[in-house]
Amino acid sequence: MSEYEIREIMQTADAADTYAKDGSEKPVFRHSKKRHERRTLTGLHLVLVIMSIVWLVPFFFLICQSGRSFVLEGGGMVNYVMPRQGFSLDNYKGLFIKNFNVQNYMGTSLKIEDFTQSVAETDIFSEAEQAKVAVIRDYWENHSRKDRLKTTDKLSDQMKKDFDAGKLSAEQAEAYQAVFTGEEGRAFMKRVYSGILDEHFTRDFRSDFLPWWGVTFLIALSAAALFTLCLYLLRLLLRARDITGPAKWFSVLGIALAVFFAFLIAVFAFKGFSIPNVEMLVRTVMALLLLVFFGFVAASAFLKEDSRLLRSIPGYPAQGPGTEIKRILAFFGEMALLFVILVCMLVPLKSSNFVAWYGNTLTIALFVAVIQTVIVLSVSYALSRIRFKGRKLLMNIVLVLGMFPGFLTMIVLYFLLKQVGLTQSGAVPGLILIYCASSGMGYYISKGFFDTIPKSLDESARIDGATRLQVFMKIIMPLAKPIVIYTILMAFMAPWGDFVFASYVAFQSEPNYNVAVGLYQWIKQNDKQNYFTLFCAGGVLVAVPITALFLALQKYYVEGVTGGAVKG
Amino acid sequence: MASVTLNHIKKVYDNKVTAVHDFCLEIKDKEFVVFVGPSGCGKSTTLRMVAGLEDISGGELYIGDRLVNDVEPKDRDIAMVFQNYALYPHITVYENLAFPLRLRKMNNEEIHRRVCEAAEILGITEYLGRKPKALSGGQRQRVAIGRAIVRDPAVFLMDEPLSNLDAKLRNQMRAEIILLRKRVDTTFIYVTHDQTEAMTLGDRIVIMKDGWVQQVGTPQEVFDTPVNLFVAGFIGSPQMNFLKARLLKGEGDADYCVDVLGVKIPLDADQCAVLAQKGAQSQEITLGVRPEHTTVLFDGAQDPAAIPCTISVNEMMGSELHLHMRSANNDNLIVRVPTVNLTPEQRASLSDGSTLYITFPAKVMHLFDPTSEKSLIYGD
Repeated sequence: MSEYEIREIMQTADAADTYAKDGSEKPVFRHSKKRHERRTLTGLHLVLVIMSIVWLVPFFFLICQSGRSFVLEGGGMVNYVMPRQGFSLDNYKGLFIKNFNVQNYMGTSLKIEDFTQSVAETDIFSEAEQAKVAVIRDYWENHSRKDRLKTTDKLSDQMKKDFDAGKLSAEQAEAYQAVFTGEEGRAFMKRVYSGILDEHFTRDFRSDFLPWWGVTFLIALSAAALFTLCLYLLRLLLRARDITGPAKWFSVLGIALAVFFAFLIAVFAFKGFSIPNVEMLVRTVMALLLLVFFGFVAASAFLKEDSRLLRSIPGYPAQGPGTEIKRILAFFGEMALLFVILVCMLVPLKSSNFVAWYGNTLTIALFVAVIQTVIVLSVSYALSRIRFKGRKLLMNIVLVLGMFPGFLTMIVLYFLLKQVGLTQSGAVPGLILIYCASSGMGYYISKGFFDTIPKSLDESARIDGATRLQVFMKIIMPLAKPIVIYTILMAFMAPWGDFVFASYVAFQSEPNYNVAVGLYQWIKQNDKQNYFTLFCAGGVLVAVPITALFLALQKYYVEGVTGGAVKG
Repeated sequence: MASVTLNHIKKVYDNKVTAVHDFCLEIKDKEFVVFVGPSGCGKSTTLRMVAGLEDISGGELYIGDRLVNDVEPKDRDIAMVFQNYALYPHITVYENLAFPLRLRKMNNEEIHRRVCEAAEILGITEYLGRKPKALSGGQRQRVAIGRAIVRDPAVFLMDEPLSNLDAKLRNQMRAEIILLRKRVDTTFIYVTHDQTEAMTLGDRIVIMKDGWVQQVGTPQEVFDTPVNLFVAGFIGSPQMNFLKARLLKGEGDADYCVDVLGVKIPLDADQCAVLAQKGAQSQEITLGVRPEHTTVLFDGAQDPAAIPCTISVNEMMGSELHLHMRSANNDNLIVRVPTVNLTPEQRASLSDGSTLYITFPAKVMHLFDPTSEKSLIYGD
């Protein structure tokens, strides 16, 4: 038999999905008729195309126009950043101040340049008042230690000292008392604050009011289209023949839940807003889109390879060779796109550490996933296959040690890490160290799995000339795919969602937080209106990689790959 | 191509259980040796020690002239076929066959040539592109054998390769192993618990029990001259009949005769000579007679050498009847009666519960000491 013929046979056999059990030599193709069927444009295509166009208009509008600074710098960040970074006019641009409570910010440091400039340029102050502020500015400019007096607080302290010491001139003393002391001063400062706020509020709102309403209208339109799509998907799902039983109801439930959560978020977003808040709408619709998408992908995981539902989605490979890989790639592509959009839309990139937090968490989780998987699998394999002295004892010790909660070691670990400089700014490597340490103790599940792989496979491979490492890599690893994936997922998820260790190792070093700690900082704020939505958006972003990993890899959970290894 | 020498091989497990005691055997180059014995007799353990999968607790193992006690399995130049096939389920048959060659960094053309050749020999060419899952039991076993023969090993080990197959397939594969052996012509060590396989395949048979070697010999030898009660009972199907009897010295015509239920059967001159040489005295013995050598007399009442027995079960096998009988001593016997010449009257007399007479010639009798269970005639 020539090489060519053998190749041909192998290819034919490869192409066949299943064989008649025994006897019959002829490969049986499952979908032989449908294989070359042409895909036709369905109603769903149209809806999706229209949807994407409608959606892109406001999206680009927002990104390209004034919406950009609005989205990136506005929102809850103001509440967060302002008290920490000094009272700066820059932070107010493009802000809705309607709900801004001036009283909250009384006493907050105000830069003297802003203070004097604001009073001089705003028409709500009388000339007498402006003159008084001019006197104060003169005092400040002539003061010998001017660079220390950056804010009104410090300036007023300094003036008080000079006033008590009798160093101030009568004019200066009068101005000081009117602006900085007593009820009179308080009322004055309040007017300064609200003047600044009102000025920017009215200015920005006036100028952008109409375009924002236009955007809102477009977004509402696309949201409507989205709901139409949801309903269409639901209908399609309910009528699909190739998805039955509990799987169908799970999928329906998934989509229904997505819609429900979208509504919930919408309600949250609108609560307390008397003026339509574009940013809230953007967030709401994004969240809705994302949730519907998740719901749909979750549903699609239940579908058969050749499902009409899958085939009806453009660019979503439903069948043919390499479908699985393509589907995963397509899925990751879509996820990546969504992810980028989300990062741009939802997270205030500037002046927020979210990206740093995310990067930290990703770094930690990836390192831990790799290191821990290698350790756990090696330990499990050794305990499963190699008989050595003390094996039982070791397993028992590990079992008993595992009963102590890991948090017991917290304080010791903190001090140990501090000794080598792996806390605070060194939190990322420090946390990697913590998570990877003692990871071999989680060998139980994978050892149990390895025990089910017949030992004769190892023995056979060893006789065939493989070293232990080759047996492990070439025979056991491919067969243990489900458990390898399980181990990777677990190793990735533990540091991904960890709060306790991360919060004390990175204690008070904000750029070194992981997302869990960072998000907690957000939700800790008593400002539900801005921080809660930020927190929600962050939560969605945190869920993205885990969801993507799980959806892409879940089939390995259920696949029995050892079939045919031994008699059966 | 190599000989295998097992020199006082011993296996003691960690829990102090001795699985193999003092196993000595010299396997010549290109010889087909079968280890046979009941479950737990140590035959697989011995094979796995030869393969290097179990540590050797004592003694020396040579493959060719090389002491291999501490040599890794992959360096022993052996191939092994497992009872459960041990195919790699994630790769195709082709890759399964190519696996050992790839590990030896052979070039692709050579691998392809060897795989095709092996597939040709075993008739699995058309399954090369399949995964093991899509094969039947017989096909899988062929692939397992194929994976061993592509290597062209010095020693070929087989650990009960046929016991997972159904009876028909097993007979077929047995014949194929005989053919295969002619083609690949190397040293074989074959482990089985089925004495038929052992008899048909082996050049020599090693019969084991409880970790001890009972007898080593050609199939004919172990069938004709079993050295103890165990070997006598294990080899042959249906198994040998054992009767309580008495060896008498100096009574009757011959030097020795055997008394079974009052029937005195004089021994052959050869047997007498051996017994005399060993200085045997009158004693209780266990008399062994194979079912094949026992004749049923339908009108044996007058015959002085006939032993009366009652039929307890009557098994119809087609060409012959297996009569399970019970003697007056409560010894159970099996007698084979060819059906071809039976008259209707004789058939009628073979019903359960009826009494018949059996007889056998002296030269087919095996005499065993009931306490030591050793043969009085054969062996040392």
